[in-house]
Amino acid sequence: MEKLIRLERISYSYYDQIPALSEIDLEVVDGDNLAIIGANGSGKSTLLQIMGGLRYPSKGKFLFRDAEVSEKSLRDKGSLKSFRKSLGYVFQDSDVQLFCPTVLDELLYGPLQLDLDEKEAFDRAFEVMKMLNIEQLKNRPSYMLSGGEKKKVAIGSVLTMNPEILLLDEPTNGLDPKTQCFLVELMIALKEAGKTLVIATHDLSLVGELQARVAVLSEEHRIEKVGEVNEILGDQDLLLRVNLIHEHIHRHGETVHRHIHSHYLFHRHEGNGS
Amino acid sequence: MANRIPSFLLNRPSPPSLKQDSGRVKVSLVEKGINHLAGVIKRGYIYSELLSKNGFFQKIDSRIKIFFLSFFIIVVSLKKDLLSELYISIFIFLLVLFSRLKVVTFYRRVLLFAFFFGFLIALPSAFNFITKGELILPVAKLSRPYDFWIYHVPATIGMTKEGLLGVAMLTMRVINSLSLSCWVLYTTPFLEMVRALKILKVPDSFLIIISLCYKYIFIFSKTIEDMYLAKRSRMLTEENNKKAREWTAGRLALIFRKTQLRCEEVFRAMTGRGFSDSIKLYGFGKMRATDWASGAALFSIGLLFLLI
Repeated sequence: MEKLIRLERISYSYYDQIPALSEIDLEVVDGDNLAIIGANGSGKSTLLQIMGGLRYPSKGKFLFRDAEVSEKSLRDKGSLKSFRKSLGYVFQDSDVQLFCPTVLDELLYGPLQLDLDEKEAFDRAFEVMKMLNIEQLKNRPSYMLSGGEKKKVAIGSVLTMNPEILLLDEPTNGLDPKTQCFLVELMIALKEAGKTLVIATHDLSLVGELQARVAVLSEEHRIEKVGEVNEILGDQDLLLRVNLIHEHIHRHGETVHRHIHSHYLFHRHEGNGS
Repeated sequence: MANRIPSFLLNRPSPPSLKQDSGRVKVSLVEKGINHLAGVIKRGYIYSELLSKNGFFQKIDSRIKIFFLSFFIIVVSLKKDLLSELYISIFIFLLVLFSRLKVVTFYRRVLLFAFFFGFLIALPSAFNFITKGELILPVAKLSRPYDFWIYHVPATIGMTKEGLLGVAMLTMRVINSLSLSCWVLYTTPFLEMVRALKILKVPDSFLIIISLCYKYIFIFSKTIEDMYLAKRSRMLTEENNKKAREWTAGRLALIFRKTQLRCEEVFRAMTGRGFSDSIKLYGFGKMRATDWASGAALFSIGLLFLLI
């Protein structure tokens, strides 16, 4: 498998004060399905933004198809075009991603940037709208959409560019179960269509459903472990250590239970407590 | 779902190469300016939150610092010679140093504003058609003197010694006032400052407005910066100034609408938590001996500057 993304000892801090990433080594290969998991503030979004060429590391190297990506290299017209064409970034907050007057404009923005002719751009926009069931929203401004609709439009705006790698930051966060389910099916379908997916999330059930390879970020902003989904989700000690699950005490009638709580795998009662 | 994936998404684009041979991307001035300004505002906010942690002056009661700021700004305005202003600058520099602030960052910001709002504004007054005096820097020669409105334009136009001294004086006053204000801003958490102003009987309506503005400006600049980032993630080519201006103008209405909605939400949240039109304070502690001692020391130094 060809290595698409390679991060070598990447560190990043905000305003030279707040550490966000520390000595990160990570690889993404063609067709990969990688989930970066970690507690809030562990640096998932920052890591994804570095992979998307939206931030540049304070230390370390970011390579895309063996070529170094830096502020300087992305000042080259050809490199910028190739890079942005290959990677699609879906922001955690759809509100910031949607900056065009209407939904249709959002979906057309990317293809027109790619210099596609108008007919093809419109075809792509309408095909994506059909796939995402948002055809009826095409003339709506983004601020008049619900959270789920905004997320669908944000994903659609990236898909119309047909990137080979999709970087999704907390794609299911704050959405209702039906929309979550829709997005999970969409991600599985995109994976089957040959897209490389990199997802930042703390939703362990999403990781389980996608059967993704998993990289765990610790609260010290380091990669704690990279492994297969069952290996990572089965490692209670690791998940406890990185604060993705926690010990929970609650009462059933007269009985007090103590158990590990994650809303996913570990809701197992261990018997009576006091 | 799989059978609904559009056919164009199944086409694998040919592998791109990041060869660097196509010329440099020019970032438009508008874009650079907006992003830079949003960044400066955001950094200013973050620094004032972060830098107020260590150092002796960070621990002094905010009331003392607000009083010191008001008193010293009067001292700075009353001094009439450059040397005294210079002494005050050295004193402020020492305060910045002892407060463990980042000296270069601090003075870069102060000097930038002082250049625009002090030096540049005062510079025309150095010319002999505004300030009469000894001509020391001739700039241009006219065939004869002219009289225009209340001004007399002499045949030789240039800068006078008195004019230049005036410019230097005003610039020094701006530098000193600005660095004092920034020093207080960077060593005092914003909330503490509001509390101190409340104690000093500044009206509540004014305090509510500055508190909301302070937070709002940060949210606003963050929205702009994030939106710029989102645009960059989908931008494949460079954009000339004209296109950038069009994009910016087009987004203004959108940002206005978004911020209006955010504003309404914040107001609803405030109302939901029992907002009334007055600021309620709690637990303003007694001043400690070190606060009084520091206050007395700063006041004495101010008096000393006033007397010399």
